[in-house]
Amino acid sequence: MLSSLLMTVIAVAGMSIAITATYVITDGLHDNMGERFIVEDVWFTGDYDQISLYLRNVGKVSIKVAAVYVNRTGQSFTPSLELEQGKHDWLTVPYDWSAGSVYEVKVVTRRGTIVVDYYMSPS
Amino acid sequence: MWTITCRRLKRDRRGISNIIVVTLSLVIILAIVSNVVLWNYEMNQLDWEKMKENVVITNVERETEPQFTFQNDGSLTAHLVSLWIINSTDHQHYDINVFINSAETETYHSSDILLPTGNYTVKVVTERGNTAVYSGS
Repeated sequence: MLSSLLMTVIAVAGMSIAITATYVITDGLHDNMGERFIVEDVWFTGDYDQISLYLRNVGKVSIKVAAVYVNRTGQSFTPSLELEQGKHDWLTVPYDWSAGSVYEVKVVTRRGTIVVDYYMSPS
Repeated sequence: MWTITCRRLKRDRRGISNIIVVTLSLVIILAIVSNVVLWNYEMNQLDWEKMKENVVITNVERETEPQFTFQNDGSLTAHLVSLWIINSTDHQHYDINVFINSAETETYHSSDILLPTGNYTVKVVTERGNTAVYSGS
């Protein structure tokens, strides 16, 4: 009698943990799959010392920019950009660029979505 | 019938945990299928719609105010949300709200928009994330 009750409690507890874990994992997958964003514009600005990126969230979930790479080197950026669905804003990357050169710019979100392309600086 | 089943369950409780595990396992499988597969289907639909979209800037005119002509060559209605005027010194961004039905042409003009002298590029972005460009001078 007691052992049956104990087994039932263990089964319910175990499966509750499994259901919670499933919810957490699938919710993460759900958000990963729903991320889409584009780099609308890249502007080589400043006194050859800054690259501005204009990002637009075209996905189904909000995004947060985690890293920006220029020529495969991580760069600092401002502001700490978080875009809700359909929102758009500038991201500024301090970077010493030279005229007429090609740069690979890669933007990575917190969930790991990557947008990468080559951009040529003005001559 | 129900009474007999209840009596059997009371008499032999060893099977109850198995029933709970099997039932909740089915709930987990159902949750995974509904949450991941259906969402994946929806995102595939979104990507498919983006691929089907095709907007072209056919003309830009300097009237009293700049006039832009957009043509939707795709099979879906396009929603233009962003307009860029780019030249060697400036990148001007304007939020716009223009819907173009499939196979139709739409003209957009605004007194807020300034076309620079010399060479420039006009870029328009759709809500789905596609871009069309036009070079003028």
